[in-house]
Amino acid sequence: MANPQSSAQVPVTVLTGYLGAGKTTLLNRILSEQHGKKYAVIVNEFGELGVDNDLVVNADEEVFEMNNGCICCTVRGDLIRIIEGLMKRKDKFDGILVETTGLADPGPVAQTFFTDDDVKARTRLDAIVTVIDAKHFFGQLEQGSEAEQQVAFADVILLNKTDLVSADELKKVEDKIRGINRYAHIFRTQKSQIELDAILDKGAFDLGRILEFEPDFLHSGHDHNHGDEVASLSISADRPVDPDKFQKWMGALLQIKGPDIFRSKGILAIDGAPRRYVYQGVHMMMDSDWGSPWKDGEARSSKLVFIGRNLDGDNLKRGFEDCLK
Amino acid sequence: MKLDLANPAWQQTLPPARSLATDAPVAACAFSRDGNTVAFALGDGQVRQMPADIKAPIPDATPALHSGVVMALIGDPVGDGFVSGGDDGRVLRVALDGTATELLVQKGKWVEHLAAHRNGAVAAGVGRTMFAIKDGEVREFGPHQSTVAGLDFSKDGGRVACAHYDGITVWSIGQVVLPPRRFAWRGSHVALKWSTDGKFIATGTQENDIHVWRVAQATDMRMQGYPAKVKSLSWTADARFLYTSSQPVFTAWPFAGKGPEGKPPLQFGDEGAGLMTVVAAHPTAEFVAGGYDSGELQLGDIKTKRSVVLKMADSSAITCLAWAPDGFRLAVGNDRGDLLVIDLRR
Ligand SMILES: [Zn+2]
Repeated sequence: MANPQSSAQVPVTVLTGYLGAGKTTLLNRILSEQHGKKYAVIVNEFGELGVDNDLVVNADEEVFEMNNGCICCTVRGDLIRIIEGLMKRKDKFDGILVETTGLADPGPVAQTFFTDDDVKARTRLDAIVTVIDAKHFFGQLEQGSEAEQQVAFADVILLNKTDLVSADELKKVEDKIRGINRYAHIFRTQKSQIELDAILDKGAFDLGRILEFEPDFLHSGHDHNHGDEVASLSISADRPVDPDKFQKWMGALLQIKGPDIFRSKGILAIDGAPRRYVYQGVHMMMDSDWGSPWKDGEARSSKLVFIGRNLDGDNLKRGFEDCLK
Repeated sequence: MKLDLANPAWQQTLPPARSLATDAPVAACAFSRDGNTVAFALGDGQVRQMPADIKAPIPDATPALHSGVVMALIGDPVGDGFVSGGDDGRVLRVALDGTATELLVQKGKWVEHLAAHRNGAVAAGVGRTMFAIKDGEVREFGPHQSTVAGLDFSKDGGRVACAHYDGITVWSIGQVVLPPRRFAWRGSHVALKWSTDGKFIATGTQENDIHVWRVAQATDMRMQGYPAKVKSLSWTADARFLYTSSQPVFTAWPFAGKGPEGKPPLQFGDEGAGLMTVVAAHPTAEFVAGGYDSGELQLGDIKTKRSVVLKMADSSAITCLAWAPDGFRLAVGNDRGDLLVIDLRR
């Protein structure tokens, strides 16, 4: 619905997670299992995969900063090139998996799919899947911001190696993940064992499937956020949204807070519009479209979700309320 | 050379052409140095050759030379065959009988760009490195800060310019080793063409503009306002104009006299055919061919600002164009695998 070409676009799944979390195990499973599908895999380390496949491409994670000088506006130019190259093949494939290095920021990968027209025409970002080592997660959080960011960006989280921790420890890890990102699907796994349809073809970035993907999306949560931690919050409203005011507010917000906002999405009940207005963003980049129509008698409520650092929930709430009729 | 775009017959009928349908996207096409043979680089590893004469019989397809996509193809500067590069990391010298000899192998890398000079040198962009191949000797230049996204020889063949993130690097490839020259401009440069008079180097950028450096003075200029990234650039034979893709019409920046600064580009041609994906200036005269994302192909004349349609839109984007050295034949490839040779003599 959001894009009439979506059926012809190859879905791309981004696989993040620390070194040793289980990404390679998962990739090897996807490539070797009998599922009747063919995947191209873009990896950063050749030779780690045990599968011999000419659709495995080595990438160096070449990130460039865009000319606007903004620190968060970074793109994987190598990914654009590789996707263009893969599309020249006679043999087509059902999906693309992009593995990132253990310390990678998922931002540039995701932003590549907002930036390049050719990539947008031929592929669609399906979901960001983050694999977490249950035993080492807390240690990794202390080493730097990467582990936290990888959780913050995720649509799907494989909480892996659950057999190596106690039930108590596991709960602590899961609570911590939820504290950062309460909207991702979490699957507890061992040896990256997961049904592939739990992680592939999720449509997490599909504007037409925002409602379907977010189980809690229309249930407003109670959000509190302290300090400079990464957290997620949602804001909802029952009064219709003034589109001009919203655009102005959101534009200014992303201009100032864009580097701190990892993911944002929303469904808006625009004043007088018969359809939902849906959007999806990564840092300052955003796609939006008209979604499904409101049914007769349906409560027209709006909801915004932010996942980011230093989010001031009260300020965001006030800002959004000023956009209402 | 007489291509008469004002002639009503040119406006109403498509020129004689030969087309061959394959089922693999065409990444590149080229004529041989003698102009007698044309070849197409295909997405199934084949380098498909055929006579430039559209009435001569087409030989059978020869086996695939590369294991994946043939990504780059040029006429061999020291023979009448071709040089190809593939996503199998190999650069091959391809003979007219379809057999090949290996010039370079870089396992696990893609050979995405090739250029040649009539002095016999071949330059290959392979990952972050540029390889210069001449007289059986392979020399390595780089690594650059990112993958080489375009390369071209200087007019005298003594230097090669490489496009990458945040600018370009110019290498002297002669026997005297000179330090490389860097020309900086932030962002990702995705195409590069050295002007036919050697004075300018132009790049297309990911962020929808083009950048041109004056090589001697190291000054630069930026032309903005494109609706998409500019992946195809072509200098006219006399270096008076730089043609750029990614507009609905032919777009030429004037470089004669004081240059294009502060001037709008010359724009002409029939709008409504989509966005131009590939542009190729005629090798000798003031004509230009432009292929569109809609599949349409136009021939333009910058003198009269006229244009004619050489091929109708058919929903498969044109991916490559090549003029025969004499300028009478034009090779065209598209995304679907159609190979086309147009004969413009009427
Ligand atoms: Zn930014």
